[in-house]
This record gives sequence, C-alpha cells and structure tokens, in this order.
Amino acid sequence: MADQANNNKPFDPMEPWRGMRDAYLDTWAKSMVEMVNTEAYAQATGAMLDTYLTVSAPFREAVEKAMLKTLEQLAMPSRADVISLAERMTNIEMRLDDMDAKLDALLKLTVRATPMTSTEAVAAPRKAAKKATPRKQAKKGKR
Amino acid sequence: MAEAPVLADPFTQTADRLKTLSKVMSTKAAIAQTPKELIWALNKAKLYRYTPVLPAEKRHPVPLLLVFALMNRPYILDLRPGHSFVEYMVAQGYDVYLLDWGAPGPEDKNLKFDDYTLEYMPRAIRKMKAVSGSEEFSLLGWCIGAILTSIYSALRPDDGLRNLILLTAPLDFSNKQGLTFARWVDERYFDIDKVLGTFGNMPGEMIDYGAKALKPVENYVSNYMKLWDNLDDPRVVEAWHAMNTWVTDNVPLAGGAFRQLIVDLYRNDRLMKGELVIRGQKVNLSRIRANLLTVIAEGDHITPSCQSESVMTKVSSEDKELFRVSGGHIGIMAGSGASKRTWPHINNWLAVRSSRS
Repeated sequence: MADQANNNKPFDPMEPWRGMRDAYLDTWAKSMVEMVNTEAYAQATGAMLDTYLTVSAPFREAVEKAMLKTLEQLAMPSRADVISLAERMTNIEMRLDDMDAKLDALLKLTVRATPMTSTEAVAAPRKAAKKATPRKQAKKGKR
Repeated sequence: MAEAPVLADPFTQTADRLKTLSKVMSTKAAIAQTPKELIWALNKAKLYRYTPVLPAEKRHPVPLLLVFALMNRPYILDLRPGHSFVEYMVAQGYDVYLLDWGAPGPEDKNLKFDDYTLEYMPRAIRKMKAVSGSEEFSLLGWCIGAILTSIYSALRPDDGLRNLILLTAPLDFSNKQGLTFARWVDERYFDIDKVLGTFGNMPGEMIDYGAKALKPVENYVSNYMKLWDNLDDPRVVEAWHAMNTWVTDNVPLAGGAFRQLIVDLYRNDRLMKGELVIRGQKVNLSRIRANLLTVIAEGDHITPSCQSESVMTKVSSEDKELFRVSGGHIGIMAGSGASKRTWPHINNWLAVRSSRS
C-alpha cells in the first residue's frame, strides 16, 4: 500500500534539496546549541547587555527629566504619580477582598444557623413557645 | 491540446501560499475559546471558572486550579478548540479554574514570590472554594507556576490541597553544568541590579529572547521553514498560527520575582536546600503531603529533567508518581501528541483522587 502511494506521488524536484537543507539545519542547530552553552557565550551576551545598559542610561535619564518637566508644565500627573495611585488602588482592592472573605464567612455561618425548610421555620417558634411555657410555669410555681 | 492553466498553476499556488503566510504572520489566531466566567480579580490577577459541560452529579467534586508561569499567557492551556487541555478536562467532568497572573505594570515591580504565594493564591483559592462549595481542591502548576504551587503547598499544607500536579517544574538548581540559563545569569556575567534598575520589571522580549536562544536555529530558522513547507496543509498552518500567537504574546516578569528566580533559585538553589525564605518563613518541601504527580518532558531544554526529579524525595506525600513523557517544555501539553499521552495520564491520575472523601 505504502509503495503504491509512493508510486502515485508526483515527482517533486525540490525534495532532495529539502533533505539536504534539513540535514544542514540539524548540524547547524547542534553546533549552535553547543555554542550558546559555553562560558564564552554567557560572558559575551552579558558584556553586550551591560554595554547597552551603560550607554543608554544617560539618554534615558535625559528623556525622563524632559518628560517630567513637560508633564509638570502641562499640569499632568507624572509616571511616579500614576504608579503611586495604582499601588493605592491595589491596596484598596486587597481590603475589599478581605471584606468579601469576611462576608462569605458570615453568610456561611448564617446558612449553618438556619438549616430548616420554610414549613419548619413556621413551626419552630410554636414549638419553642410550647417548650418555654412549662418552664415559666415551673418558675412561677417555685416562687 | 494541453490545458491552459498548467503554466499558471505554480504562480497561483505561490500567490496562495504567500497570502497564507502573510495572514499567519500578521494576524492573531482565535485562541482561548472555551467558555469561562471571571469570578475574582485582584490587581492584574484574574480567576476564571470554565463553564461545566456535565451536570453536577456527573462532575468530580474536587475542583482543579490551573496555575501557569508568570511570564507567559496562560491560554496555552486552552490554545484552540479541539486542542485544549482545559476543554478536555472540562469534558472529563472537572470543575476547572484558571489563575491568570496578567501583565505586571511598573507599579508591580516589587511583587515577589511572597506576594504571589501568600497574598494572591490564598485569596484566589478562597474564592474558588466559595464558588465550588468544596473545601478540598487540586492544584496544577506548570513551569514557574510549579514553583509557586510548590511554595504554596509547603507553606499552607492544611489549606485543603488534596492533589498537586507539577508540570516541568524547575525546582532543583544544583546541577549548574546542566543548566544553560544558570550559566547565562551567573553573577560574573549578569548584573541583575543594573537590569532591574533600568527596566523595573524584566521585559517580556528579553525573556523571550532567552528562551529562544537556548535553541536558536530551531526557533529562528527551522520553525519558519516548517511553516513554509506546510503552507498547503491547513491543519499544520492552523496549529502553527495558534502557537505563534502564544509565543509572540510576551509578558514581563515582576522585578521582585525575577530577582528571587535568579538569586535565590538559579544562583543559590535555596528551595531545594530548604533555605528559601518567604515572608520570614522557610519553605520546607517536606511539609507537602498532598498526592503528587510530577510530569517531566524528556526533551525539555528549558527545564531539564534534573530540575524536577529530586522533589520526589523531598516531599512527605505517601501517594506520589513521576511520569516521563516524550516532548518538549510546551509540546507535552500543547503539542499534537498531548491529547494522546499527557492529558489522559493526568486525567486518569486525578480522576481516582478527586472523589468525595
């Protein structure tokens, strides 16, 4: 069956080229994995990152200062102001979540305290009254 | 007479292929399609409950909470219809919840593992318990999510956790020679103070570069070659499109958490040594008593197996299993073989441990 399927498959002139390409990519991939796993690569990428951060720092600072002044002149909140507000919002959210937790706990307690059906709920005060009557009488009798 | 379109065919074919390529490279696939509702939110974090498809009496009573990594979107767990772990688990009768950490902003640069495990997770779990009505639950942590769930499980062993599933969990950092990341973030080469001083949070693009640079040819060349070779196959194109949508949707990692990941874990292996301190409390993995399933991807270049094996000897769980599956870090859960190997195994393991006690 497989042979038949292969025979019916049209000839693809690119197939051998693809095979060669994949073999080359495999070899390349293996050598690259070995390369990135060396101390030299770690050292080189670390140095590149460090250089970038050092060189770009003065530009970033200048842009930040200019932006801060512009925002001040436009009477707009700065990045630090917005961050501070966001932090306060999160704190408020946490307090709300605490209250939600307490409310859930209270609801749970309420449900536990009233585990009766509606007919039971109607009958319950009557039963309680009946139970209470002899005690009252007994107390009265004692007096 | 020969038919006229014979000569035109290669051109039409090439035009179609280029059109498909352009679409796939410039648009986002429809992902995360399983119906869900938002039941809790705090700061950027959100807790979703997936709409059950089975009636309550046919569902497992113990809910399942999915916790993914901090620096990627969690919809990899619900990539696309027919290829979604979430969809599969919901169909198997689980009450599934997903904790989405969201993308931290500059105001979140000080968030640490402490906050995620002792502020966010307990609150989300409380809400899940309230909604599901179950005091017991199962946790599934993947990648950094597995670090968070392990820390939580060790610090809160009496919180009702019955089952813990760790997927490709980077917990053991003792084998420095076997970890390329450990070499890159060595203190001799990587100045974490300078990086976080500049960016606040670790930029998603830098994390993405780091993950891709582990296998540069596969990620930057072969991946696109595979797409080019299969542009005529809609199934391959659809899968590639969905995965590419996820891979290119990067999330920054909160500065505080990134510092802990590098300094406490990659450089000093404090979790395995029992020296990791969270809010003044040492994380002792032996306090984990929940039933434990650890899943290791045999072809994982991000979290090699040596990082996930030793947790098995550290925990106190009596019921524990180490499951090895062929595939990569993401492929074992989102690859074409996931629905045949990893998902059924997780389902079979969890089903017998999710009945009412």
